[in-house]
Amino acid sequence: MRISAACPEPCRRALFVLAVVCAACRPGDPRPVLSFSGSSLGPEAAVVRQQLDRFASQHPQVRVELRVTPDAADQRHQLYVQWLNARSPAPDVLQLDVVWTAEFAAAGWVLPLDRFAPDVADFVPAALRASRWRGTLYALPWFVDVGLLYWRTDLVRDAPSSLTSLDQAARQSMTSGETPFGLIWTGARYEGLVTVFVEYLAAFGGGILSEEGRVIVDEPKAVEALSRMCRAITEGVVPIAALNWREEEVRLAFQNGQAVFMRNWPYAWSLLQEPAQSRVAGRVAAAPFPGVEGHEPVAALGGAQLAVNAHSAQPQLAFALATFLTAHEQMLERARLAAQLPARLSLYEDKALEGALPIPMRPVRRALDAAIPRPVTPVYSELSEILQVSLHRALTGQQPPAAALTDAAANMRALLARSGLAADASTR
Amino acid sequence: MNNAIDPHREERRLAALLIAPAAGLIVVMALFPIAATVSEALHGHDLRLPWLGRPFVGLANFVEAAGDPRFLSAVGHTVLFALVSVPIEIALGVALALVMHRALRGRAAIRVVALLPWTVPTIVAALIWRFMFESYSTASFDWFVHPRAAWVPIVAADVWKTTPFVAILLLAGLQTIDPAIDEAARIDGAGPLRRFFTVTLPLLGPALVVATAFRALDALRLFDLVYVMTGGGPGTATEPLSLYAFVALMQRLRFGYGAALSMTVFLLTFAFALIWIRTVGHSLTDDHV
Repeated sequence: MRISAACPEPCRRALFVLAVVCAACRPGDPRPVLSFSGSSLGPEAAVVRQQLDRFASQHPQVRVELRVTPDAADQRHQLYVQWLNARSPAPDVLQLDVVWTAEFAAAGWVLPLDRFAPDVADFVPAALRASRWRGTLYALPWFVDVGLLYWRTDLVRDAPSSLTSLDQAARQSMTSGETPFGLIWTGARYEGLVTVFVEYLAAFGGGILSEEGRVIVDEPKAVEALSRMCRAITEGVVPIAALNWREEEVRLAFQNGQAVFMRNWPYAWSLLQEPAQSRVAGRVAAAPFPGVEGHEPVAALGGAQLAVNAHSAQPQLAFALATFLTAHEQMLERARLAAQLPARLSLYEDKALEGALPIPMRPVRRALDAAIPRPVTPVYSELSEILQVSLHRALTGQQPPAAALTDAAANMRALLARSGLAADASTR
Repeated sequence: MNNAIDPHREERRLAALLIAPAAGLIVVMALFPIAATVSEALHGHDLRLPWLGRPFVGLANFVEAAGDPRFLSAVGHTVLFALVSVPIEIALGVALALVMHRALRGRAAIRVVALLPWTVPTIVAALIWRFMFESYSTASFDWFVHPRAAWVPIVAADVWKTTPFVAILLLAGLQTIDPAIDEAARIDGAGPLRRFFTVTLPLLGPALVVATAFRALDALRLFDLVYVMTGGGPGTATEPLSLYAFVALMQRLRFGYGAALSMTVFLLTFAFALIWIRTVGHSLTDDHV
């Protein structure tokens, strides 16, 4: 009642309004809140809500809340950085893109998970590699995405065994006039271009960073890989328009019958098989992207992982939620309702998954076995941006491949030195 | 005597008191953000690398920019864009203003039609022009893949969109010219071309100076058209300074370096404004008035 003494009438009225507003947004529940933040569009939102409710019913001591974040990866990343930089204790559990985990780990924004001794033996190895930073586990793989080579079964009988046979088949179909283009991939200057490059690179046995974190993207194998991509453009096997294309433009061109081969992600499968919109329905198959003669096929890994906020007020429960969401049953349910690939290998032996996902399991499983993560480093996004610019310069003929990669490597080394992450620098 | 001054002083004090909130607001709204940007530009601050802290680095960010080829080419792109697009806009603006000025029939209709492009939001205009040029690309030539050709849609969209604005400014200038001067020149036997170059254009000088200044300042801050049409690509062949500053700030989250780049945008436009007013502005406005 001291308020009424110290406060004049208008002020009291304002306080009353404030109290009403607060009461409206907090229905008097004294339990602590456990918040989760992740994809919340369409079927993904529905399945997450369902699973959060189930977790809440098993843990009546907390309220579980879904924090909606923008679905665009860049925007979500920006928001996370703002929250975590400000040491916000919420959200307790975060959905991270595979390429963010090292960044968040090095910044001290997410908890090391080894203290909870999680059982990780079943996770897809490439996804697990992406959730570790300097040997410590910081996230649990949630779902995976993997690069696939789609091909037209009416024009080519089998999946090409090597890049060379892919090239031959592509040219053959172009010269016979069956399709205007041979191969199409995402060549616009964005992250998708890096995933394509990662596959070419691995096809030639090269890499971007070595195991110890040294920049190796200017080595001969990488130059060879980029030269091959450039040649595909100059010789017209890949149309120059593809240098402006992202996933959807590539998919549309392929489903309109413009190319024999397409490099894309698993999401394209069910859309390509819809006769109402796709001219190639029923005439498409998928396999991992081939290597050069004598090399294994390779696939770039995408997907998401779950991590625990380092400033969470209830890390135990947060970890329990991450474990719950990445458990066998929840992953299977997510596959069925949101068509996302589970990150547990044992599920691929499960008959239930075959029925749950529209895409056939054999090529996906083979691609997952061939999957490699993009460089695991805290400065990945900047590294990728450097690479995007250099790759695009080479592909649009502004720089020869070797010069472009020399520039990219120099910029990457400067970046690693500036951030104290250079391989020769003493560990932080 | 005292009685005469006192109310005056009272009033002045009251005036100061009344102005204070507005002045304070200006300080907070205008000066504070600029001061914060300057301070940020003098610090090393990378949101992605929190372990480096936020040390004071003096002019290191500006030194880094001076040795950054992408920054230097962004400056080049920005200046080149202004040098190409502004003269075209001024020339077409003069022509359009003359048409609007001379038109006897359908004057209102002509003005409305001429102004239409200016009323289209930049983002929409950029998308329309991108779709148009995309449809003119072929299997062997793509406007947005060629590093020099990619500038054509950008300049075209900018000219299309801002020429009406220039024309309106110049139309106002034309209307201040006394028709008697033109009439006198005609009686002296000067043809239309001669009259345009010796009478109309010189008298339009002040309006041209203002229009050019407006357009050049806008062109030096070029951002939205490029962001929508090419994203700065292919590679970084069409990346202007503002877009590079945006990349450094919002994509790389390098706040220190990004702030330094924003400062250079500010310095570039400021330097242009200063030089323009000191040289062209002075000679035209002072001599003729």
